[in-house]
Amino acid sequence: MKSNSSTVKTRPTPWDALVFAAVAALAVLTALVFYGPKARTNAPLTCVVSVGGEVMDHVPLASFAGEHTYSHNGYTLTVRVSGGQVEVLHSDCPGQDCVHSGPISRAGQSLVCLPAQVVIHLESGTDGPDVIVG
Amino acid sequence: MKFSVKKLALCAVLAALALGLSTLENLFPVSLIVPLPGVKLGLANIVTVFALYELGAPEALAILVTRCLLGGLFSGTATALLFSLLGGLCAMGVMILLKRSRRLSVYGVSVGGAAAHNAGQILAAMITLGNTMVVGYLPFLLAVALITGTLTGFVVSLLLRATAHLHLTNQSDYR
Ligand SMILES: [Zn+2]
Repeated sequence: MKSNSSTVKTRPTPWDALVFAAVAALAVLTALVFYGPKARTNAPLTCVVSVGGEVMDHVPLASFAGEHTYSHNGYTLTVRVSGGQVEVLHSDCPGQDCVHSGPISRAGQSLVCLPAQVVIHLESGTDGPDVIVG
Repeated sequence: MKFSVKKLALCAVLAALALGLSTLENLFPVSLIVPLPGVKLGLANIVTVFALYELGAPEALAILVTRCLLGGLFSGTATALLFSLLGGLCAMGVMILLKRSRRLSVYGVSVGGAAAHNAGQILAAMITLGNTMVVGYLPFLLAVALITGTLTGFVVSLLLRATAHLHLTNQSDYR
């Protein structure tokens, strides 16, 4: 094995800053794509609920008020929609991460339950899945 | 390359240390900042980076897989195994590539690895949920990776300098 240890750098170099900047730029770029100008407008929100990879509900948030239950993988989630907010009221999944995530109310936000494979996503606009460019 | 008893013992110790770190990070759930369940900070990446520099890629891979399998066994869920394995393998792949550049220090390699680790976890979430919407968490997880990657670089650079005189392996040491 060649001894590469002697050339190991343990102190930061200017080139490290380049890696740092590249990751930061990617973060900003993806943030713009997902939470850019379009997501910040006051356009009506659509609630998309997917269970096990299948879209179960794709409803304008305003007309989705009430409690909805979703069952998958042997777990049942109760989701409450009220006052423009969506939250997992209770769930019998282990970990309870989805319940602890609290309410979401803005475009781009999601509630996720891994054990039940449930994703509740808010998107801006009321017309189908949005592709935001610029 | 000789897989000596000394090297084997070192691998076992490092795997145990990595397992300890990944258990420890359950105390600091990332889900408080980024509400995507299953995602971990990647503190065990410290061990991967150290092993990559001190022992080499095959040993680092063996340590990584051992840690992920044991961690998955303890947590008892296939999801946890998928998250740690995909995150860990993505990080390792990127770090092996970045390490080839003699211009980068441990810091640059660690930051790139941390970013890949978190991207790998998003991939695991996409597979688990059958849903691409979780990609929306990527900007937050990349921002977290800048912090964890720099921290990892700092810890490993200290470790490498501190263990340079110990002759942990038969390779030429750090001067
Ligand atoms: Zn849940």
